[in-house]
Amino acid sequence: MTDTPPPTPQPDQPAPDQPAPEQPPRRLTRSSEDSLIGGVAGGIGRHLNVDPLAIRITFVILTFAGGLGLLAYLLCLIFVPTDDPSAPPLKWGLARTLGAGLLAVAALAILVPDWFWGPQVPLMVVAGAVVYLLVRVVREDGGSHAGRMAARIAIGIVLVALAAGGLVAAAAGAALGGGIAVAGIVIACGVGLVGGAFRGGARWLIVPAIVLALPLGAVAATDLDVRGTWGDRTFQPASTAELAGGYEMGMGSMRVDLRGLDLPPGRTDLRLDIGMGEIKVLVPESVCVTTEAEVGVGVVNTGDGDQGGVDLDIRDKRAVAPGVAQLHVIADVGVGAVLVGDRFASWDRPGGWHDDGFDALQTGTSRAACRGTA
Amino acid sequence: MPGDGMTPRPGYDPASLFSGVIVILLGTLLLLDQADVLELRAEYLLPAVLAAVGGILLACGLAGPPRGRS
Repeated sequence: MTDTPPPTPQPDQPAPDQPAPEQPPRRLTRSSEDSLIGGVAGGIGRHLNVDPLAIRITFVILTFAGGLGLLAYLLCLIFVPTDDPSAPPLKWGLARTLGAGLLAVAALAILVPDWFWGPQVPLMVVAGAVVYLLVRVVREDGGSHAGRMAARIAIGIVLVALAAGGLVAAAAGAALGGGIAVAGIVIACGVGLVGGAFRGGARWLIVPAIVLALPLGAVAATDLDVRGTWGDRTFQPASTAELAGGYEMGMGSMRVDLRGLDLPPGRTDLRLDIGMGEIKVLVPESVCVTTEAEVGVGVVNTGDGDQGGVDLDIRDKRAVAPGVAQLHVIADVGVGAVLVGDRFASWDRPGGWHDDGFDALQTGTSRAACRGTA
Repeated sequence: MPGDGMTPRPGYDPASLFSGVIVILLGTLLLLDQADVLELRAEYLLPAVLAAVGGILLACGLAGPPRGRS
């Protein structure tokens, strides 16, 4: 057995009887000793091992930069705990949460004012409420009555938001040509339900199935297809040859001005297709116009008044005399309106109705023209 | 237990099973319409969707609560 020599103190280590030099705390805390207001600057200075005065000056300078210094100080005051062991523990109460939320809102209003003052503010309020409720549930472990109630409210809001988003997404996806994929997901939900029935049940799949199937059914029923051009377009064909291909848009307002067109005797077809929006066809008074319109949901007016409803299939039954120049409008609209006439007007100036406008249908197409007596 | 007057529950969840069948039928109908195999008009398609939702709700109502909640 050999004796182990006693350890000799190293030159760079303090002797055991000497106190160790004070190390900055690893965790950021507010200082209870170096405190002018809340000990924020003192705590940060101690944490970063810099003079707290420099931190205070930084806060003051940032305060003149849109109030950022004040905001940052208040946030630190709320979220950074104190180093005073006798202080009550940090509790995530309603007042602290509300204060932090309002400060965050104020920060957004200062930093991104153009974005802030928009329609997203109500959504932010709802999202903030949901986050608060969820945080409360997590912190209280769902044990108390208030916690359970908060959990139900939060989950309800989240589910309603998800369902609304799913409805809109499914409708948009189907209308943009993804109907087959959406239908496939619905079938997959059904298969999951059947399979899950023998494994204790999978009723939760009913909700996504319905959320997807309802808008898809609506889109399918109206033949809504918004692929293509979006916006307001006015077409003024210079010759009948330009009418051969027809016109097609996804969404918006399609205006077809045929007043400058010289139609030959006989029937000339004009095919118009829009997913969602309105079709307005302005024709010369002397031309016989017949219309064949299919509208999923909306209105058709060819001068005989509005015919509105679901799944409209309007077919003009005007008798056309031989040798008469006939324009046959074949319109297909998912959701919207078809208006055909020889006079539209708009209230676009103080003088009143403006005949050259393209707004409200004033006069339908001429029946006399179809008889050849116009 | 036999003779205790209680009807034993089946070994599957009837609500999930019937709802699944209804959803598969509805999805197939919508798929055929979207693939232009069938041209379903609103007057047929919308009642079919409503009937499917009604059938699912009825199945859930008749089947009672899911297992583990009764």
